[in-house]
Amino acid sequence: MKMTSMRSFGILLIALTLFSCKKEATRWRTDWLLPVLHDTLTLNQYYNDSTLSINGSQIDVNLSRTILDLGLSDLIQIPDTTIAQQYQANFTVNNVSPGFMFVNSIKTHELDLGDIQLKKVRVSSGQIQLKVYNPLNTAVLYQIELPGVMQNGQVFVQNYTVAPGTVQNPTIATETINLSGYEIDLGGLQGLEFNQLQSKLTLKTDPNGQTVSIYNNQIFKFEAAFQNLRFDYAKGFFGATVIAGQEQFNLPYLDLITNGSISLPDLDLGLQIENGFKMALRAQVEELSATNTQGQSVSLNAPSIGPSMYLAPATGSWNTLQPSTLNLQFNQNNSNIKAYLENLGANQQVTYQLQPNPWGNTSAGHDEAFANSRLRIKMNAQMPMALQADGLTLQDTFDIDLSQDLQKSHVTAATLILDATNAFPFSCDIVLYFMKDGQVWHTVIADAQLVSALQGQVDPSDGLLKKKSKLKIVLPPALVANLQDLNQVAVSANFATTDPGTGLAVQQAVQAHAFLGLQLQLQLQTQIRP
Amino acid sequence: MRLLFLFLLLGAQLAQAQQALLLDTYGTYNSTGVRRQVADAFFYGGLIDSNEISRSLSGLQKRNTFGLQMGLNAQWQTPWSVSKDAQKWGFSYKWVFNAGIQQYAGLQFSKDLFGMVFQGGLPYIGDTLDIGNLRAEATTFSKIGIGFGNKASQSTFVLNFVAVQRNLAASLSKGSWYQTPSSAQIELGLTGQAKFNRASGQAYGLSLDIDYRFGSADSTSNEQQFQLLIQNLGVARAVQSTSYSMSGTLQYSGYSFATWQQSSVEQLAQAFLDSLGYEQALVSNWILLPAQIQLSKIIDPESQQRLAAYYGAQFMLRQTYTPLVYAGAQLKVKQFWRTGIGMAYGGFGGLRMQAYSAFQFKRSQLLLRSDNCTLRNGASLYLQFRCDI
Repeated sequence: MKMTSMRSFGILLIALTLFSCKKEATRWRTDWLLPVLHDTLTLNQYYNDSTLSINGSQIDVNLSRTILDLGLSDLIQIPDTTIAQQYQANFTVNNVSPGFMFVNSIKTHELDLGDIQLKKVRVSSGQIQLKVYNPLNTAVLYQIELPGVMQNGQVFVQNYTVAPGTVQNPTIATETINLSGYEIDLGGLQGLEFNQLQSKLTLKTDPNGQTVSIYNNQIFKFEAAFQNLRFDYAKGFFGATVIAGQEQFNLPYLDLITNGSISLPDLDLGLQIENGFKMALRAQVEELSATNTQGQSVSLNAPSIGPSMYLAPATGSWNTLQPSTLNLQFNQNNSNIKAYLENLGANQQVTYQLQPNPWGNTSAGHDEAFANSRLRIKMNAQMPMALQADGLTLQDTFDIDLSQDLQKSHVTAATLILDATNAFPFSCDIVLYFMKDGQVWHTVIADAQLVSALQGQVDPSDGLLKKKSKLKIVLPPALVANLQDLNQVAVSANFATTDPGTGLAVQQAVQAHAFLGLQLQLQLQTQIRP
Repeated sequence: MRLLFLFLLLGAQLAQAQQALLLDTYGTYNSTGVRRQVADAFFYGGLIDSNEISRSLSGLQKRNTFGLQMGLNAQWQTPWSVSKDAQKWGFSYKWVFNAGIQQYAGLQFSKDLFGMVFQGGLPYIGDTLDIGNLRAEATTFSKIGIGFGNKASQSTFVLNFVAVQRNLAASLSKGSWYQTPSSAQIELGLTGQAKFNRASGQAYGLSLDIDYRFGSADSTSNEQQFQLLIQNLGVARAVQSTSYSMSGTLQYSGYSFATWQQSSVEQLAQAFLDSLGYEQALVSNWILLPAQIQLSKIIDPESQQRLAAYYGAQFMLRQTYTPLVYAGAQLKVKQFWRTGIGMAYGGFGGLRMQAYSAFQFKRSQLLLRSDNCTLRNGASLYLQFRCDI
């Protein structure tokens, strides 16, 4: 019986073993078509915002950019300053009765503002922090007055009753007051000085307190800290310090150009220097240069680049303020502006000098600046939006993370399918570079060209010349197998404005309301491993 | 179904045995339409050939089922009477101990869903796929119990303590998928919910196993002997289940450049889920165990009849399981060897042929059976062993 039972149990075990034997992973293949991108690239967002404008069936570039913009707070500043006033008796005063007023004096404080000599300012924002110290063994009434600081005709006065203190541990009272809207007269007692601030401290012992003695080691003081002062009006002599600067800015997309050239139509480039301060101004554009992605720099050469130019003071005041302006015009006849722009310099650099009062204090301290006073340098350019592109190549690199575990469900083949409707007058060849840490592992070329609108037909629905294209970019199996190792893809687009008749690159105008409609789909073959 | 043969064995136990050990293991899967070659790949591994998928797809109805059951059970019928007093009822009963682990998985799905899962969306561009009316139920649990068995009729009553290791109850009442031919835009609508309980989320309960026999005590009378078998009738309480619900529609035709630049993949995925009204929460819930109820005719192994019929019906408290009926005939080839052949319909599959052989040794019995001999969309193997001590 035992042998029979053992035999039966053996059969059971073998059968179970066979049943549970799994040799390789379960897998099957599926095919998918997934939409990835659906977008229309237009120039609509640039219309009527000082960049582009519609002119009939054409687009005009109406580029206007402010390169420099300085206001009153940029030129005239009072650094955070603390003034202090104190009283200390020369000898001991005994039996000081309650309510005794024992000091009342005015002190003048000099502000260090370099060569700027201010007579009057109005605070747009900022604050004053007052701190008073009482070393006396009875409460003291402090009255702090800043005679030159006024609002609506009222002098700045603050009263404090400070509790009794000691010499070692004086009682301290602190308060912060918003100075917005206050006018500060910095002309001193006679109004003929500048950068002078006055203060007056009055002390009175507590009328309801006890009789005390004041000793010569007791120091009664206040501190006033002016913080973060900004002005919307200033009067005085604004100095003659030279403001020398170098501004750099990058033009978008131009830094992506890796190859090729363009040819632009004739254009005018204007540079306007605006002086909104009532003071004389010297302006000098020392250099205007641009460097493209190949490292080639072109400087703008024109008679007005280099020498000093002088601007008269603005006229009027407040709402009637009229800035004085200086307009510089660069065109084909007086400069190399065309070569400058066709260099496609992504990195633009302007070096300049601005100097107030180049001839000194000729206004006798009557320079004025208002809330809307600005020092500006503006650039504007106008031309029809047209270009001739010949192999103009834009390339941009993106980080990717397409890692997949080949032991799990994964992609075995992939194809990018691009449906495009092009209303721009250029064709485009697309190449993808799949890279690992900057090293190109796979280069994939689209099977067709994104065709120029010039080869299309006018769509009666919107009157636009447009052409549809369908491109397939097949990712080869070797690339798909390497997906988990790749971490960058560079998309390279090569543009050309080729004349369909001659096959030569010619200058083409961009039609109004031109667009590029794109639908990108991803066709995937996957191996599913549950 | 497997219980039919357990009854056969139980019926064959020797009345004079003091105690008995029963081992019962089984594994079966079946489908109303999915070809066996497809299902086999999930058990034995390998590539599912696209031709097999196409053939399975062509054989599917609008609604289909696939199911899997596996289990291992051991029962010890002790020699100890419940009561030593012959005057009390307990004297007629002996203690029974039971332990086992079982797995039930059932799936109801549409033909369109099968096609999309196994072929992808590309072949169905331009077609509206009905992926709703999906129901998935899966439970893995173990049990240990104590009860008593009637010495004469072999009826047993066992109360089990149950621990549920994993439970899934999901349904998708509405579901549609459509991709436009021109732009491959996806239009997806889903309404469904699910509750999932992992091994870490404790779920315990009680279940009752009843094996009640009635009719003639042996084959010498003209009456038939029947069995009512109820197994796993009970519930478990899950303290921490994860509940998922979804009700919404989604249209996706690709994102703009700006969206791709400004959003992470996680944010875009969350936007998808938000569109579909996806919600997730931790809940407590009751789990109804996959109870099965079977009524069957038993064949007396001691009968001298060379040919005998068997039949029965089985139900399960699961929506993915359709009632099963079966019938067949048994041939007593030798005194120690009986073999049978029959037909079954229902459960997870359609009509199919079953066959078994039972071997009776001096103090042990062995039974092997398959329910998928022909007309099959599945496979099954039942092994049962009994040792009388």
